[in-house]
Amino acid sequence: MTAATTTHGGSRTPGFFDALAPGGARALFFLSVTAVLFLFAFPVFWLVLTSLKPGWEVFYVHRSTEFTWGNYVDVLQEEIVLNAFINSFVIATAATILSLAVTVSSGYMLSRFRGPIANTWFGTIYLFRCIPYISWVLPLYFVTQWLGIFDSYLGLLLPHIAVHICFFSWIMKGFFDGIDPSMEHAALIDGCTRWGAFRRVALPSAIPGIAALAILCWLWTWNEFLFALILTSHNTPMITVVMAQFVHELGTEWNLMSATAVMTMGPALIITIFGQKYVIKGLRI
Amino acid sequence: MAEVVLSNVNKRYGAVHAVKDVNLTVNDEEFVALVGPSGCGKSTTLRMVAGLEAISGGTISIGGRVVNDLPPKDRDLAMVFQNYALYQHMTVYDNLAFGLRNRKVPEGTIGKEVDRAAGILGITDLLKRKPRQLSGGQQQRVALGRCIVRHPKVFLFDEPLSNLDANLRANMRVELKQLRERVPTTSIYVTHDQVEAMTLGDRVVVMRDGWVQQVGTPLEIYNEPRNLFVAGFMGSPPTNFIDVTVAESDGKLYAEAKNFRVRIPQNRDAALRPYVGRPVTLGIRPEHIVLGEPAPELEAGFDGGINVTEQLGSELLVGITAAGTEIMVSRIDPQQGLTLHESVRLSLNPTHLHFFDRDSEEAIV
Repeated sequence: MTAATTTHGGSRTPGFFDALAPGGARALFFLSVTAVLFLFAFPVFWLVLTSLKPGWEVFYVHRSTEFTWGNYVDVLQEEIVLNAFINSFVIATAATILSLAVTVSSGYMLSRFRGPIANTWFGTIYLFRCIPYISWVLPLYFVTQWLGIFDSYLGLLLPHIAVHICFFSWIMKGFFDGIDPSMEHAALIDGCTRWGAFRRVALPSAIPGIAALAILCWLWTWNEFLFALILTSHNTPMITVVMAQFVHELGTEWNLMSATAVMTMGPALIITIFGQKYVIKGLRI
Repeated sequence: MAEVVLSNVNKRYGAVHAVKDVNLTVNDEEFVALVGPSGCGKSTTLRMVAGLEAISGGTISIGGRVVNDLPPKDRDLAMVFQNYALYQHMTVYDNLAFGLRNRKVPEGTIGKEVDRAAGILGITDLLKRKPRQLSGGQQQRVALGRCIVRHPKVFLFDEPLSNLDANLRANMRVELKQLRERVPTTSIYVTHDQVEAMTLGDRVVVMRDGWVQQVGTPLEIYNEPRNLFVAGFMGSPPTNFIDVTVAESDGKLYAEAKNFRVRIPQNRDAALRPYVGRPVTLGIRPEHIVLGEPAPELEAGFDGGINVTEQLGSELLVGITAAGTEIMVSRIDPQQGLTLHESVRLSLNPTHLHFFDRDSEEAIV
């Protein structure tokens, strides 16, 4: 981008980039990109490297030559880790499906309808959105205890769905704002009911948006730590919490923690790679 | 086929009164064009007929049945939108078939109807494409096809050509006219373009601020504007307005302004005599002013100075300062050499003078 704007600078006053030698701007651009990329990629690289080292070498990662798959084998033999993977997967998937069911129609209402019901809904989710994420945790802990759903799927799902609705209804509203409402009007005239116009015309047009949102929802829940830490215990271990438990009173098992972390990144990485187009679209709104 | 009747139709959005007491009868197979500036209530009126807007007051009936409380799907009409409103996730075929499928028409009949509509509009080759693969003109044809495929009682058009470029718009205007001949259906056409309204409408309805200003054939609207607004809105270049005073001399009436004195034709005497000594607005279309000395008995000449000339090739438009105001004269021979600031003699065609009451802005007839 920088390179393009500089080379097509035209008649504007020469700036910093114009003072560079031919090709200099492009080189500088790539250098900056590489630096930023390095900043983000290096910890991941280090993590992968650590996960392949035996326990006694984790502090000498940069100069050791020994590699092992043992950490992965050890971690996968731990029942709690396997359970945590399953739990995280189930919670992320269920939260995504259930919250989308509400978020899609909620976003549609925010985009298309005005009136007391829509305004009240708007006000409610806006209010909840304004509350800092962290301040939800303690009340939710007491509520789940009171309802007897602490440390259960439901106890974790419901708060996640609530958060998704408050945060992602806006993104969904943005997607629907981008869809021409006259298409739905045409459908009404073509014989659809209001619901039919939503289901058969607006919804199929919003599929890219829904896909983006599904990915964001899933990744959010998969990566989420705070709710998982406070609202679960031994019955429903979540992978992000289990990972942190490699820090214990006898020390930190960096090698095992890294192996778990790498495996945790796997599904997120796959989803991001394949759904990249949708994720970017979702983040743009 | 059906007639559409609007009786005292009103639309209010809170404190805003968007459509005021509209009364209009669109006869069976008639094509009526609603024209007016932005915000005049023409689209809102159309959307009330379609059922996309609730009616705040009055009744709308289609084919003798009051449709006020009917949803759009039960009104048996079709609509073309400004931005085509094609279903982007469906092929052209599915777009055309959508309305028929909703009405549970057998697939075989749907196929025949879609082919017929596609044949009429010349879009048979496009049936398998998605809307985004089509040009603006092609998309507009598909939108028209979606209308004719269902044989509805009424067609509604909401500025269907305004997203097209000028050339395509002119072509589509002709095609719409031809389509009318092939598929005669009661139609209401909303536009802000007076050329579309004049060329397409059997009758034209001019609207302003939610009020209907005048209903009439294109020529009635053009030749006998009911008020100052209609006279100014319809016609390009617009009607010239000159503030004059009606004066009487030797029993004859004159319209007088600074350096301007024109005899009012005798047949207008009765209407204008009550205005003697009072200011009125004189309206004259640019093509009804000619360069040169009029016949002396007409007493219709005055002088002006050329301000601006606009060469169109087929004619010359000239802006002239006369009678204390700026006036536009059209249909001047493009070969005529006129220089800026040159003083010219002008004469009015006395049979085409319009007079308007200064207060009510209504035509004095």
